[in-house]
Amino acid sequence: MTINWAQVLFNSVVTGSFYLIGAVGITLTYGLSNFPNFAHAELITSGAFIGYMVAEQLGLGIPVALVISFLCTGIVGLLCYRCIFQPLAKKGATIIHLMVASIALGFILRHSIGAVWSWEPLYFTSTWRAFTVGPLRVTWLWLGLIFAALSLATAMHFVLVKTKIGKAIRATSSNPELALASGINIDKVIWVTWFIGAGLAGIAGIFRGADTQIWPMTGWDAILPIFAVAVLGGIGNFYGAIAAAFIIGLAENIGVVGLTILGLSTTYRIGIAFLILIITLIVRPQGLAMLFRRT
Amino acid sequence: MRPVFSAENISAGYGDVAIVRGVSVKVAESEIVAIVGPNGSGKSTLLKSFLGLVRLFQGSVFYQDEDISKITPDRAVSLGVGYVPQVNNVFPNLNISENLDMGAYHRKGKTSIKAGMAEIYEMFPELEARKSALAGNLSGGERQMLAIGRAMMAEPKVLLLDEPLASLSPKPASVIMSKLELIRKNRVAIMIVEQNVKKVLSISSRGYVLVNGACVMEGDADTLFAEESSQQRFLGLETKSIDS
Repeated sequence: MTINWAQVLFNSVVTGSFYLIGAVGITLTYGLSNFPNFAHAELITSGAFIGYMVAEQLGLGIPVALVISFLCTGIVGLLCYRCIFQPLAKKGATIIHLMVASIALGFILRHSIGAVWSWEPLYFTSTWRAFTVGPLRVTWLWLGLIFAALSLATAMHFVLVKTKIGKAIRATSSNPELALASGINIDKVIWVTWFIGAGLAGIAGIFRGADTQIWPMTGWDAILPIFAVAVLGGIGNFYGAIAAAFIIGLAENIGVVGLTILGLSTTYRIGIAFLILIITLIVRPQGLAMLFRRT
Repeated sequence: MRPVFSAENISAGYGDVAIVRGVSVKVAESEIVAIVGPNGSGKSTLLKSFLGLVRLFQGSVFYQDEDISKITPDRAVSLGVGYVPQVNNVFPNLNISENLDMGAYHRKGKTSIKAGMAEIYEMFPELEARKSALAGNLSGGERQMLAIGRAMMAEPKVLLLDEPLASLSPKPASVIMSKLELIRKNRVAIMIVEQNVKKVLSISSRGYVLVNGACVMEGDADTLFAEESSQQRFLGLETKSIDS
């Protein structure tokens, strides 16, 4: 069997790009609010459905769908934080309480989406014609996904390093009490972060939906590797998340080659993210954070 | 002299437990006031309660005659109350200039912030030389300078300092003390919680002695230091007999 390693590498970049867009929200909100938001999966799903509605049912196309999905999912994420998680945290809820609340919220959102739209898979009708570039088979969707991830990485770097709100996000994530004592309104900082993080989940949802299918489990199916990215990158660490997204993307795609050689089903690829997650937690629970200390 | 900052009958603590009980303090413009006492006497809790960082059970905090007991910490800072915690007083993942930038969070206008930063660098040239260094990589003395500089970027009229000399060797401690004297001369009121009694009283005009969460003595710094019994209290000795 001949393996096209260039294709494996390209697929890894595509997978890593999706994980990066999906994981930024998780890692930033976890860093600020100190709990893993499992309902992030349903924000991805919401984004996919909103994108489908805008692009397919309203016929406005994918670019408009990306913008509207970002805004709508961002608002949903912000409302989830302000109406559920923030009041719970102010009442003294622990990380376990908040995590369980996020699982419950995710469950409610998932079934609400199923009831409103459909449990039957939906598909974007846009056909992504594959073409070859040298040894690579590519589609415009994949190139768009890579471009979106690179743009996100560049834009977020600019926001975190150059803007006041970005520095405040890093400061609040590092020491919320000192941020307060520096005159930073940390509630506003957290709201902005939840809006951006949820909005990006929506964009990830559109790419996932366009590449595979859209159904109420779209986000849940992807949430484990996304959490693995956040943990490997170091919770709250944006630069760590960039590296981790592509490491897990690469591991998954090399794993697929391995599974194929062994004659096993490639659906086991999800186990690779599990494995990386567990090994990270045992060997280096702080992930790659020490290598990227700026966030 | 009219106080720029005062706290009356403060009881504060964590959860339902009051660590500080019935303490009143004040500080006037261009004055340095020390709050001393043995370990665990509630000095840091008292300071945090002024900014609303711990639960205030009773009492009122006034800044320029305005009751700030119920406002949020970030609002108090924007009014003119600066605070430097004892530990974790810099953002380790931000560099020096970014830390100073965060201190000026509520300040409007890039020119004003740049001018403020230039003043801090003039006061602490060591910081300017390393302005791109991450705060987490600084020495204890540099870190303390940065912490004070960050608080000063908010243009406070009163500066609350929690043990600024703790864990510093004599040289950086002297530098910090001389800078505090400079800040005082710029018409800023300073309230310092400190274990190093001799040093802090040498730059203070007045002082308060806290034992077991209550103020057991207050007065002129020279008198406080001269009084043998108060020295014992500062050091935490014979507190039982004092309490009884």
